Amino acid sequence: MWESIWESLPFLLQGMTINVLLLLGIIAVGITAGLGVATLQIYGHWTLSGVAIGYAWFFRGVPELVLLMLVYFGLNQFGIRISPFLAAVAALGLRSSAYQSQIFRGAIQAVHPGQSLAAQSIGMTKLQMIFRVILPQALRFSIAPWSNEFTSVFKDTTLAYAIGVIEILRRARYLVARDFALTIPALVAVAVIFFVFVSAGNRGLQVLESKLYIPGFESKQVSRRA
Amino acid sequence: MSKKGLLVALLSWVLLVGMTLVVGAAEKYTVAAEIAWAPFEWVSLSGDYVGFDMDVMRCIAILEGYDIEFFDIAFDTIISAIQLGNFDIAASGISITAERDKVVDFSEPYWRSEQAIVIRRDSGLNIVTALAGYGSTKKVASQRGSTGDKWVQENLVDKGVPIEIARFENDPEGVLAVVTKRADAHIQGETGAAQSVKAYPDLMIAGTVDTGEIGFGFVVSEGDPKGILPLLESGVKKLKASGAWENLATAYFGGAELETIEDAWSECIVMLLDDGDVDGFAECLAEKANQ
Repeated sequence: MWESIWESLPFLLQGMTINVLLLLGIIAVGITAGLGVATLQIYGHWTLSGVAIGYAWFFRGVPELVLLMLVYFGLNQFGIRISPFLAAVAALGLRSSAYQSQIFRGAIQAVHPGQSLAAQSIGMTKLQMIFRVILPQALRFSIAPWSNEFTSVFKDTTLAYAIGVIEILRRARYLVARDFALTIPALVAVAVIFFVFVSAGNRGLQVLESKLYIPGFESKQVSRRA
Repeated sequence: MSKKGLLVALLSWVLLVGMTLVVGAAEKYTVAAEIAWAPFEWVSLSGDYVGFDMDVMRCIAILEGYDIEFFDIAFDTIISAIQLGNFDIAASGISITAERDKVVDFSEPYWRSEQAIVIRRDSGLNIVTALAGYGSTKKVASQRGSTGDKWVQENLVDKGVPIEIARFENDPEGVLAVVTKRADAHIQGETGAAQSVKAYPDLMIAGTVDTGEIGFGFVVSEGDPKGILPLLESGVKKLKASGAWENLATAYFGGAELETIEDAWSECIVMLLDDGDVDGFAECLAEKANQ
């Protein structure tokens, strides 16, 4: 039983590559939209900031599975046919961007107010201030809470099987369909594989955090507080 | 739209259709199934979609001259997906029911399967005590939305028999619930039940239930806007007339191990895909699978 799961490891790992690709897609959508939403929420005109708040409110309030089905089956109603993979990246990416926007918002607000005052006092425009002073620091602060979102998004990629993305959980199901006795071993194998991947990812983020750390009075104080 | 615009649109449409006819590009239909339900459909270790439904679909496509592409989606989304037009055909051991028939169209029934009750050998139960609620309340596991699930609900629970249904996403989980004593019985199709007791020797089939099921049908969108049903019906007829249908049934339901069927399939499939030899493929598969 366990032996045949061991033999099927390559079969499962092939599915895991899809989960990793999903993760990359979701993270790309999530960071881009999340940073945009956070910046708009804090620095945007009140209308834009309202839109950003509504966006985060909506995508944090809808269950992921519902969102997946809505994007995949719903778009078809309007004649838009997208592959299950793209639908999963879009649905889970938008959802994640709403969470990430709140992580980035917290990180931006954790940058000491003196920093923006200093930037303005040496004549920087608002955009210059955001991109040269605030974001470089805020992004560093956000790595730790962001690793939480990374972990959660990574595991959520298994939900994509509901709309027909052939990822690792789906492949585990294939093994079970051939041999019912593999139900538990296949799930354990998926759990172990995920554990290894998620741990490696988190370790990587920790290394990144310490590499990017800026020694200095203010940032140190804030990062300790965070 | 102006008259001129309308004319241009009409002309380009005629041109498009005309070109398709001239080039003779074969129509391509998408086929949805939950490909995790052996021996009707499952994924071999080499990653191929094998099973009775899959091969019947391939054979009909060749006989009727169109292309197909399979999509593996969750069973309980198949009917909605066909209804919404996400896919053209569904072939996934789908029972014909009045409820489903309201939103999609079915082919003639192509397979009939009784529902079997799977219990633990040491449970001391039988087909009557497992379902009749004799003694303590019995817990019956089922695959959500399946024929067996519906039958237990409508004929036992709704009529006051003290039974609790434990619904699972798929049959293997329900079977596991019986093995781990979290449920007293599991109801599933005969062919699947045979596989369950093979996988877990501690289990046995207590008996089968005649649910009055019409049988499995292939599914297309309501009203069959693409005219696929006649192709399916004609294909099934041809398969039955040539004996290929019988051979496919022997290959998949003859009691061979799935691995043996997979090996036979990899050997024979070139005859179908490269040479379009439907009869030869079915014969080869029946022979090699039951060697």
